[in-house]
Amino acid sequence: MAARVGHGSASGNGSAGVVLAGGRSSRMGTPKAALEWHGSTLLRRTLGVLARAVSGPLLVVRAPGQALPAIPPGVGVVDDPEEGLGPLQGLAAGLTALEGRAVGAFVCSTDLPFLHPGFVRRVLDALTGDLDVVLPVARGHPQPLAAAYRVSLAPLIAELLAAGQRRPAFLLSHPRCRTLRLGEAELLADPVLAAADPALESVINVNSPDEYRSARMRPAPQVSVQRFGVLASNGHPGPRMVRAATLAAAAAAAGVALDRHVVAALNGDQISRDGETPLTSGDCVAFLSAEAGG
Amino acid sequence: MSARDPSAPPGGYAGQALIVDVGEATATTLPLDEAVLRGYLGGAGLGAWLMHRLAPPEVDALSPQAPLAFVFSPLVGTPLTTSAKFAVVAKSPLTGMLNDALASSQFAIAGKLTGHDAIILRGQAATPSVLLIDGPHPQLIPAGNLWGCPAAQAERALKGRLGNGWRIAAIGPAGERGVRYATISHDGRHAGRGGLGAVLGAKNLKAVAVRATTKISTADPEGVLAAARELRARSFGPATAKYRELGTLANLLAFNAISTLPTRNFTAATFAEAPQLSVEQLRELRNSTRSGCACCSIGCAHIYRARDGRPARVEYENVFALGPLCGVSDPDDVLAASARCDELGVDTISAGGTIAWAMECAQRGLIDAPWLRFGDGSALLRALEEIGTGRGLGPLLAEGSRRAAAIVGHGSEEFALHVKGLELPGYEPRTLQGMALGLAVNPRGADHNRSGAYEADLSGDYDRLHGGDAQVAAAVATEDRAAVMDSLILCKFLRGVFEHPYQEWAGLLRLVTGWDVDAAELRATARRIVLAKRMFNLREGWTRDDDWLPIRLLREPIRLGSGRQATLTPERLREMIDGYYAARGLDSQGRPKDRAVEDLLLTEGAPR
Repeated sequence: MAARVGHGSASGNGSAGVVLAGGRSSRMGTPKAALEWHGSTLLRRTLGVLARAVSGPLLVVRAPGQALPAIPPGVGVVDDPEEGLGPLQGLAAGLTALEGRAVGAFVCSTDLPFLHPGFVRRVLDALTGDLDVVLPVARGHPQPLAAAYRVSLAPLIAELLAAGQRRPAFLLSHPRCRTLRLGEAELLADPVLAAADPALESVINVNSPDEYRSARMRPAPQVSVQRFGVLASNGHPGPRMVRAATLAAAAAAAGVALDRHVVAALNGDQISRDGETPLTSGDCVAFLSAEAGG
Repeated sequence: MSARDPSAPPGGYAGQALIVDVGEATATTLPLDEAVLRGYLGGAGLGAWLMHRLAPPEVDALSPQAPLAFVFSPLVGTPLTTSAKFAVVAKSPLTGMLNDALASSQFAIAGKLTGHDAIILRGQAATPSVLLIDGPHPQLIPAGNLWGCPAAQAERALKGRLGNGWRIAAIGPAGERGVRYATISHDGRHAGRGGLGAVLGAKNLKAVAVRATTKISTADPEGVLAAARELRARSFGPATAKYRELGTLANLLAFNAISTLPTRNFTAATFAEAPQLSVEQLRELRNSTRSGCACCSIGCAHIYRARDGRPARVEYENVFALGPLCGVSDPDDVLAASARCDELGVDTISAGGTIAWAMECAQRGLIDAPWLRFGDGSALLRALEEIGTGRGLGPLLAEGSRRAAAIVGHGSEEFALHVKGLELPGYEPRTLQGMALGLAVNPRGADHNRSGAYEADLSGDYDRLHGGDAQVAAAVATEDRAAVMDSLILCKFLRGVFEHPYQEWAGLLRLVTGWDVDAAELRATARRIVLAKRMFNLREGWTRDDDWLPIRLLREPIRLGSGRQATLTPERLREMIDGYYAARGLDSQGRPKDRAVEDLLLTEGAPR
């Protein structure tokens, strides 16, 4: 059986997440990384979704000197050595920074407001031992900026860049790069992803103000909230369904405040009191007392 | 605050301990130097120092020579909320290492007001007896027909016999029989972990009765009163709401939701029937009453009626250990088992842990007890009965899971869930990896009251499934805080009330003692107490291998409700332990360096 490098590796040397934030955002007219998204930013949301799906480090690759909105502690920032050379340059910078720290990485742009952790996992899980890239083909297009890459590709990408071959297609068609294309049917063969994101909206990006406005007007994801212990003593503990794009919004809908006495467990797994933690459709949020003495 | 007579003990202290040899029927007074009191405070800290001084090296915990100390604290007797607590300290018959167990009650106040900061018992009475102390001349009286009674019944009978003012700490039948996880109880509260009830029973003592005969003043009574009023008001805030409104059982459903509820001898981290045992369900279906310990404004005790009408004090730990850990979901069975543990005087966590191990042994055909099945409430009750009466499996199970597994063998050691012999509490280490470290390195063994590293796991600030440096820091910090709280003594349910704990605790101690103590000194005191405990264990044969977790937790991943697997590898645990040793200034084998030992006031010629 081929070695899997997807999420869930306990070695600490498994999968990483890389967000390429250094694009020019010329059609948007303003840096997309800092665009507001339900009280947070697009970059914060993308990083939060990746954090839920990978076991290794998280990186943001930015243009030299580019100002970034607030990012969670522990997220690394890597500068593109040169501005304006396109996504392959950012990919090289990200993968180079991960050498020795991860085997593979999900690499995406910052403008995927509907990216779902289930999509990230599905793609990373397909990055088995004999593959270098897992390229989703969804909603009619290959998605190199929502794909999984083996970290050891960095030298090859550097060679391509040095030869002036700056488009991802040069990498994906290179004979030394073994690429698996994952079509929609293959992606949706994963029942978790099929349930959470049946239309594969994970790959929808926003490039213009109109696209952004349209995306922003869509209702927030539907999530389930439940309160435990004293948090449930005044009213119904749940679970009940609410619409919330962040933990703070879910807390408000549940009638609790995320302070030092309250934490939230996401899908019975990660625990957080960071209100900007992104939520995606199908999430279950449990609010608990932070006082766990027994 | 007036200037203190230099010959008088500091405020809050008697300045002496009473040592009673119950075999010789003699008592002596041990003066306690102010440097020792200031260096160890009281409770668990002073108890550790006393054990260093008074316990013969490598003494058998159940031998007459082994000392057992009731240790009070500077805050006892003040109006500060939750301060009416005492520590019982001895070498544990379960772990063979230092053990301190805390209880709250009027016994603490009356015991201190006998004029002693600690009462230490040695020897063995010729016949089952009760020890009476109301000054420097203790008295032994026959236990008579109290021998064999539940502790609460013995306590009531003694109160009737002795009259008002006497406060009694007693053991149940389990302590008399030497069950290695027997408790000492007063007012229904237990000094529960580590088997100190067996130590008292080995001295042929059914109970110790104390009566106040003196007063102990504080340095600044008005300041103490003002601080007590302010602390009391804060104790009604959100940090204690869980304990007040629902009690610790509120953990059950929450822990189940985050896959940290150990189930069926740690083979799962969720229990499908958990809602049946939840406080939410019990409140709907059962009469409940709420009570608090002496001098406590929180009132965390929630008492429900078992099927037969007997009251059962319900805590998360006893429901976890007698419920999910044994696969038992019928609340009547769990309440009855909990009430029976109280009557017998056994630690519910160790009882449940040992029975869960035995259930797995029976399931695997390693012991001849086909009746002992996971999920069978009547089997749980029968096992408890056998432990209490010494029949059937009782003698085996009375040894605790470590010793029992060594007797049964055939690989059963691998699923005996203990650290240093102390059975694990209801915090799944694979999904709370900071707590995994806290459980592994604690001198008392697997214990949730001496390490609160789960606070880091549940804070949301760190990845609870991937222990690392942050968890190391949390393990050290919470262990230090526990050392101070257990020595002052203040209830840990109050800990969330303090925003700047060391500073605030130093402020309270200044008011009581008159010392110019500050936060930095208390931090050093915390480290000293933790180190003194480790040093005692080292003296008793501890090695680095004892700071470890059961093999099951390191070999078998556990599945979360989310579907993710939580894995705690031996390598990761070892890295965290190495980090812990480094953070504590220990060498790679977990031993302290010479300079640190000099600070412990343990060497010959050091203050007494």
